[in-house]
Amino acid sequence: MDWTWFHKWGSPKWFYELSGKWLPWLVGSMVLCLTVGIVWALLFVPQDYQQGLTNRIFYVHVPVASISLAFFPLMAIAGTVFLVWRMKLADVVVKVAAPLGAWFTALALASGSIWGVDTWGTWWIWDGRLTSLLLQFFLLLGVVSLRTALEDSEGAARACALLSIVGCINVVVIKYSVDWWNTLHQPSTDFSIAADQANGPEIWVPLVFMILAVYLFFAISLILSTRNEILQREKRSQWVMELVKRS
Amino acid sequence: MQFSSFQEFIQMGGYAFNVWSVYGMFAVFLAVNLLGPLRRNKQIIRELKRRYELNAPAQSGASSANSSAESVGDSQ
Repeated sequence: MDWTWFHKWGSPKWFYELSGKWLPWLVGSMVLCLTVGIVWALLFVPQDYQQGLTNRIFYVHVPVASISLAFFPLMAIAGTVFLVWRMKLADVVVKVAAPLGAWFTALALASGSIWGVDTWGTWWIWDGRLTSLLLQFFLLLGVVSLRTALEDSEGAARACALLSIVGCINVVVIKYSVDWWNTLHQPSTDFSIAADQANGPEIWVPLVFMILAVYLFFAISLILSTRNEILQREKRSQWVMELVKRS
Repeated sequence: MQFSSFQEFIQMGGYAFNVWSVYGMFAVFLAVNLLGPLRRNKQIIRELKRRYELNAPAQSGASSANSSAESVGDSQ
């Protein structure tokens, strides 16, 4: 089997150059999806017969909350790659994903809370879904502060990788919390064909655009922060010196 | 279109606070996590430029002497 792609991916220089070529396309697609998604969601989606126009919140809350669950698995995979193969780039991903994940989780909690205050009649309730998501927020802050406390050492990288792997247990709890504990939070959004027939395309098509937009945003933000971290870590290498001189 | 006037759109059927605060937070969230790294990138490149310029004269001066070559890489 040819493993050159794996070593190439581990090369910060290679990643920096390639991601520079991808970024304009990613940003263009994100702006397109975001514009279509937001205009559609705000102006054209019909009112919900129970929730009225608060159903607009759905189009921000669902994409952000569902993608917030991707952070621990992503950091665990990158952390494993770092622990096993000592790939430096993988540790960079673990480092930059943690604060972004905290932002995603915070927005998921806040948007859910503002949605709930009128539809559930309360800002907060200690149900399984909400509590486990709040735990994820604190775990991500934990990963961020672990890195700061250990001052970017080799030990910090290893500790963060381990905490990321352990943190995945909580993702399983978040995912199944709505099935295990039958409390206030509704079950997961159903993306199957049966659901498409119950809710017309005017409901779910804008959601697809918003999910794509938030996924692209997630990729773009991660790539931008990864590039910044690479520049700082590789500041003594020839290619960074040349790149800085050219700019 | 679900609204017949701009006024009605802003009022969001009585849920103006809920809807607009969520979309407002979403806008802040996007801006912080895109513009933040972009600004940081400019800042890093500026810092590195200054750093290389500070180290460059030491490097050329040290080409004949061997001891001060240590200072080239790092100053922190």
